Amino acid sequence: MKKGIGKYFPVVVRIGLGLVFVYAGILKIMDPVAFAGSVAAYKILPYNLNYLVAAILPWVETTCGALLIVGCRVKAASCIIIAMNLVFMAALASTIVRGLNVDCGCFRQGGDKTPAWVAILRDVAFLAAAIFLARLPEKRPRFFNSSNPE
Amino acid sequence: MRNTARKLFLEMAVIVLVAAAAGAIWNREMLYVVWTGASGETVKPVPASADQGGIPLPAGLMQVKEMYDRKEAVFVDARDEFAFAGGHIRGALSLPLGQFEAKSAEFAGKVPFTAEVVVYCNGYGCHDSMTVGKKLISKGFRQVYVFEGGYPEWKDGKLPVEGRNP
Repeated sequence: MKKGIGKYFPVVVRIGLGLVFVYAGILKIMDPVAFAGSVAAYKILPYNLNYLVAAILPWVETTCGALLIVGCRVKAASCIIIAMNLVFMAALASTIVRGLNVDCGCFRQGGDKTPAWVAILRDVAFLAAAIFLARLPEKRPRFFNSSNPE
Repeated sequence: MRNTARKLFLEMAVIVLVAAAAGAIWNREMLYVVWTGASGETVKPVPASADQGGIPLPAGLMQVKEMYDRKEAVFVDARDEFAFAGGHIRGALSLPLGQFEAKSAEFAGKVPFTAEVVVYCNGYGCHDSMTVGKKLISKGFRQVYVFEGGYPEWKDGKLPVEGRNP
């Protein structure tokens, strides 16, 4: 059994990553039209699909974040976050290659722009955290398993 | 091992589908107006309320500048004619909100419904561009953007303008 800070590290990573994705998702849920504009700025999707992504993606982010916070289906939620981060990083890299100067639209819509390379570095950190969580052995939350404490 | 991977994939699929369904239901009105307003298969009658049209996509200065440079988008000035004559984005067409009904038929004769249309007015406090954008979608235009920074942001960016006193 791990001792000291190492014992709590997976919990801190799990809840921290969960809070980030819940925060990011809720900000976008509050203003889906502005987020659709941010998606459109990447010039990857047809006009209408920008709205579809803006309607659905924040809910996937929020759901995965909430699952991480409560410690339920951590491996599945982490794998979805890994997949989303890879897509985000590919989209951000494509803006650098195409010379587009767009706001990443990752959190608050509008306001100061976050440069693409900064957003990619941030996504690398989230990706590493999600991979770490995905490799942990799956445990049921304690409230589902109270008769057999760790 | 194979069963574990299958179970994981199934869990991922369920999570994504449930979240996507929640998002689609939550945003059903937005998706409905986007799809019906932008389908453009037939020219729809102008609705009684301006808010019944589809929702234009917001576009930032850099995106709008790229659309301008590609010369693929039609720029529409939603301010009144006096403001338009004073200065506007070079090549923009005037379609003031107050004269929309009178001028929209002429506009539709010049611009195909499939064209990218960028509507602007007097910046972030001005809502005429959004209203004109919605009305254009309700007329059958399929790709309507609103440049919320409008003429002031374009001019501050030292981008091409023309007019009596731009």
